[in-house]
Amino acid sequence: MSKEEKKLNPEDNWRNFIYNPLTSEVLGRTAESWGEYGAGRRLGQTLSDETPKYQDLIASPGLSIIPKPMNALEIFVNISEKTSYEHYVTALGHFLKKYEDSMQEKNIECESGIFFEQKSRSKLACKFSLKILQVCSGLNDSSYGFDEGSPCVILKMNRIIGLKPEGNPSIQCHVKEERVNLVTFPDAGKIDLMYFPYYGKKAHKNYLQPLVALKVNFQPGSEEASIECKVEGSPNLKNQDERDKFLGRIAFKVTLAH
Amino acid sequence: MDQEKSEICNIKVNGTNFEKVDNEMAKKDDSKEKKKLSKRTLKKEHQKELKKDLDLNDHKISTKELEEKYGTSIIQGLTSTRAAEVLARDGLNVLTPFKDTPKIIKFFKQMVGGFSSLLWAGAILCFIAYVIEFSKDNSVSMDNLYLGVVLIIVVILTGMFAYYQEAKSTNIIASFSKMIPRKALVIRDGEKREIPAEELVVGDIVEIKGGDQIPADIRILDSQGCKVDNSSLTGESEPQTRSCHFTHENPLETKNIGFYSTTCLEGTATGIVINTGDRTIIGRIASLASSVGQEKTPIAIEIEHFVHIVAGVAVSIGIVFFIIAICMKYRVLDAVVFLIGIILANVPEGLVAAVTVSLSLTAKRMAKKNCLVKNLEAVETLGSTSIICSDKTGTLTQNRMTVAHLWFDNQIYRADTSEDQKAQSFDQSSATWASLFNIVTLCNRAEFGAGQENVSIMKKIVIGDASETALLKFSGIITDDVIGKRKRNPKVAEIPFNSVNKFQLSIHETDDPNDKRFLLVMKGAPERILEKCSTIMINGQEQPLDESAREAFQTAYMELGGLGERVLGFCHLYLPEDEFPDTYSFDIETMNFPTSDLCFVGLISLIDPPRSTVPDAVIKCRSAGIKVIMVTGDHPITAKAIARSVGIISANSETVEDIAKRLKIPVEQVNKREAKAAVVSGMELKEMSPEQLDELLKNHSEIVFARTSPQQKLIIVEGCQRQDAIVAVTGDGVNDSPALKKANIGIAMGFAGSDAAKNAADMVLLDDNFSSIVTGIEEGRLIFDNMKKIIAFTLTKNIAELCPFLIFIIAGVPLPIGTIAILFIDLGTDVIPSIALAYEKAESDIMNRKPRHKKKDRLVNHQLALYSYLQIGILQSVGGFFAYFTVYAVQGFRPERLLYLRPFWEDNTFNDLEDSYGQEWTKYQRKYLEWTGYTAYFVAVMVQQIADVIIRKTRINSIFQQGLFRNKYIWVGIASQIIIAVILSCGLGSITALNFTTLRIQYWFVAVPYAIIIWLYDEFRKLLVRQYPGSWWDNNMYY
Repeated sequence: MSKEEKKLNPEDNWRNFIYNPLTSEVLGRTAESWGEYGAGRRLGQTLSDETPKYQDLIASPGLSIIPKPMNALEIFVNISEKTSYEHYVTALGHFLKKYEDSMQEKNIECESGIFFEQKSRSKLACKFSLKILQVCSGLNDSSYGFDEGSPCVILKMNRIIGLKPEGNPSIQCHVKEERVNLVTFPDAGKIDLMYFPYYGKKAHKNYLQPLVALKVNFQPGSEEASIECKVEGSPNLKNQDERDKFLGRIAFKVTLAH
Repeated sequence: MDQEKSEICNIKVNGTNFEKVDNEMAKKDDSKEKKKLSKRTLKKEHQKELKKDLDLNDHKISTKELEEKYGTSIIQGLTSTRAAEVLARDGLNVLTPFKDTPKIIKFFKQMVGGFSSLLWAGAILCFIAYVIEFSKDNSVSMDNLYLGVVLIIVVILTGMFAYYQEAKSTNIIASFSKMIPRKALVIRDGEKREIPAEELVVGDIVEIKGGDQIPADIRILDSQGCKVDNSSLTGESEPQTRSCHFTHENPLETKNIGFYSTTCLEGTATGIVINTGDRTIIGRIASLASSVGQEKTPIAIEIEHFVHIVAGVAVSIGIVFFIIAICMKYRVLDAVVFLIGIILANVPEGLVAAVTVSLSLTAKRMAKKNCLVKNLEAVETLGSTSIICSDKTGTLTQNRMTVAHLWFDNQIYRADTSEDQKAQSFDQSSATWASLFNIVTLCNRAEFGAGQENVSIMKKIVIGDASETALLKFSGIITDDVIGKRKRNPKVAEIPFNSVNKFQLSIHETDDPNDKRFLLVMKGAPERILEKCSTIMINGQEQPLDESAREAFQTAYMELGGLGERVLGFCHLYLPEDEFPDTYSFDIETMNFPTSDLCFVGLISLIDPPRSTVPDAVIKCRSAGIKVIMVTGDHPITAKAIARSVGIISANSETVEDIAKRLKIPVEQVNKREAKAAVVSGMELKEMSPEQLDELLKNHSEIVFARTSPQQKLIIVEGCQRQDAIVAVTGDGVNDSPALKKANIGIAMGFAGSDAAKNAADMVLLDDNFSSIVTGIEEGRLIFDNMKKIIAFTLTKNIAELCPFLIFIIAGVPLPIGTIAILFIDLGTDVIPSIALAYEKAESDIMNRKPRHKKKDRLVNHQLALYSYLQIGILQSVGGFFAYFTVYAVQGFRPERLLYLRPFWEDNTFNDLEDSYGQEWTKYQRKYLEWTGYTAYFVAVMVQQIADVIIRKTRINSIFQQGLFRNKYIWVGIASQIIIAVILSCGLGSITALNFTTLRIQYWFVAVPYAIIIWLYDEFRKLLVRQYPGSWWDNNMYY
């Protein structure tokens, strides 16, 4: 506080600092200014619109899935009863809507494999084509595989401003049950570095984060899949945190019924 | 000494004669009075005991009847078999131990009273909340469970602390059992044996001798110069003779009864046991004491009132927000949890400890000033005292006879009566004085105890009765060599005092080698001495005792007597050498020497002088609006004289009798309203109805009750309490214990007090000095003021703890502060500063204001509550929220984003919650941010509580008037606040259960401007209160 005051009145003597009769300033501020201070206006002044002051609490991104199950992390699908999974399909469609080509007209094709760093004030976004997700893109199968009992789940890494993953990050999933196989799109769950860094909601308006789709194929007779996905291949993306079970990893279950 | 004692005896006998008549007359009234008593709080036993007192008639009947009544023989004693039978019937001769509340009950009482009950309720609510939440979702946070456990620990610890404090002071008081004599010499089966005193039964014949404690109530059958000290019963330490004569209707007054637990000082006596154990007089009084109900202490009432306010605020806010939550479509279960949270935030968990500690600190401080407090709450009671009923002997006076005035050469001289006199300053040049001094020194049987050469005269132990001691010490001050003087003037004959002669006489050889005459010296009751004189010494010359000389004597005698002093006359005679040669053998039986036509020399008057500190203390009481009432068993004239000399009756106020005398009209015609002072005797008091007593207490500001009985002391206390007064009573005898118990604060004397009195009292005066009471009152008043400050300090942050909950419910923001952090404020950072406020000095002379009115001057008034809750409390909350929003904003969540974010924020499956910048947060990352928010809010409240503790130093003065650094404990407190917060934030930040995180250094200062605003605002408030007394501002902003 006192640092601030001195900055404001570096040449005033002490007496004037406490109360300046010419400008009616008390402790270097006018009554109005104090009022603003009190009302927390100063908060707005010191904060940047583009990036928060600190990011130490989100040094590493979390991992989440779409659709988000209602409670616990358990996706239940009954093929013979459409209502049991309809909302998942809707959620996926809703989420992927902003990835449709028509929504990405302003986005550009970027050079794969390297960070897309920008200096200009308004940042451009790299295009993420739904085609990358192949059968899970919803382009051909509007039920995202739910109808035939091999549902798609979309995985995404949380957005963090300025995050630059080291190495070659990818999302790797494993299932406990032997009679279930997983297929990821793009291949090997690769996450392209060109989508980093993120510059924040205001500057990076059309930014779309890269996605990885996971198709869960149940072999006949199998009904349950306990899946764990992790962000791998990048030393600065944590996936082992003791307390945060969603930091660079996620565990969920898919149950199928006929 | 004895003559003058007889003088007093006469008066006493007169007095008691009156009482006897009264007794009979009052018997009719008695039943009436008893009914009235029962209407009041007194229990049935009380009446029964009073009645039993009157029933005792063993002192009236003859020894024959006694033998029959108890089936015993005066010569042979009881038979062993009979004794065993009676023992089986009556039980052991012991007092049932003082019916003390069992320790365990006391302990539990500490744990459920006042705040503790609120805390218990809080703890139970916590468990309920936890169970509700757990049943919903078994991964719920354990916060409420921890909180409940911590609350219970707090209750138990503070309860144990308070119990320990009380037990510590109670243990200092020796118990009753000490009073019981161990062995008794008894005649059974015709032979003397020593048996344990507890095996005594009625009808036993016991023998006692000097130094023994009397083992039971006994009727004296035979006595040889037996004197007893009844001080443990009556508080008057004057030795009393015991004989086999029935002298008074009242068993307490008659000389032929010796009481259990009193001490036989000298002589021997034989007596028949008439009462044992609890049926003895002392046993009855002790049980009477335990049956008198005690009033709640004023501070207990205040705290109850305070708990009501806090509970009222908590419950009403809780219910309002419960309804709001329901209207906002929260689930009922959630709404219940909110309700519990709100109530919890309102409970000042740390206050119990702070109040207990500050009371015990004051108790400690008072103990240093010779007031030992048994019951912590009594500390404050003393401060609200509005009437002190004080004993005279020993409390107001020095409890030793001292020479006060001398009359010789037709002139009254004044002697120094202070405690540490070194020399007497009156004119000692007259030859008459030399003769008088001779008589004083020689006609005296008292002696200094052995081995006290280096002790100052006033402190030497003297063997002899009170008056002789006074005279011996008086001569000791005039000359260093009293003993030498006596040796040089050897005594050849002596007649000690007896009740027939009423004088004491001795004949000495003189130390003048040229004068072979014997000197006869005599002292005694002045009128008896004067009768024996025919001449009077004026300026060393013997002159005939004519009418004018007699008149002068009479005037002087009346004047000294009117001062309430015990007057002695002194005369001498040089026996003619021819008639009485040095070989002459004096025979005191035949009195072969002249005892008339002596030469009158002078008068000396004695008094038990007031303690020198008492007049100042009484003036202090007066300016503090405290009425001092003297209650004594002494004669009204003495009582009034002492009352005047210490200022209990001020110099210019008159009693009804004084006015009558001045106007020369009968007493009945005097307008009673004109008299400020009143001297009321026990007899008059007996005839008064409660209404008349009320009137007396209301209309007279200076009252002396003289010749009162123990029961009457109780009546006086009750009368005072009917005036809504807080009454302090001093006492030392067993007979005082009912009054001590009944008083709002009973004060027992440490030296002179009996154990029973100390047991019944709330406080013990270690130096028996009245002025210690006044210092105690000052401390008591100070602690009341400081407790206001403590409570104001503590209540303020309650709002800062409550608002987060309210905003959480209404605006749906993430919770700004958790319950654990709240506990760390209440029981961590705030504890030492609040205790430090107990050390605050008074803001002005607290002894210059009236005692607080029980019903008007509350500890927590609405001004205090409103100012703390709605002004400083709200300011503090704003500061706290500012810190909270700052911490969230710098991490990415701007205030507008937080609104109604709660459902998503708290959703465990929501791991990509977007902040204001488009970043996504997992649940745990949010949780960690929430804890950072807790820490920031906690630190902000802590910083503002620093300002709060500083502003609470004073209620009206500027901080600068009070001095910022005079109370160094405040700074210890502030340091503790900062250190605890730093430890929590830095050191224990890694412990998840505590929910603290390490806060960046700059966020420690976010609330500093608010702290400064709080301080400036309060200075402004105090300035206006000082500037405009009586204004709207003063009435509403001064707490």
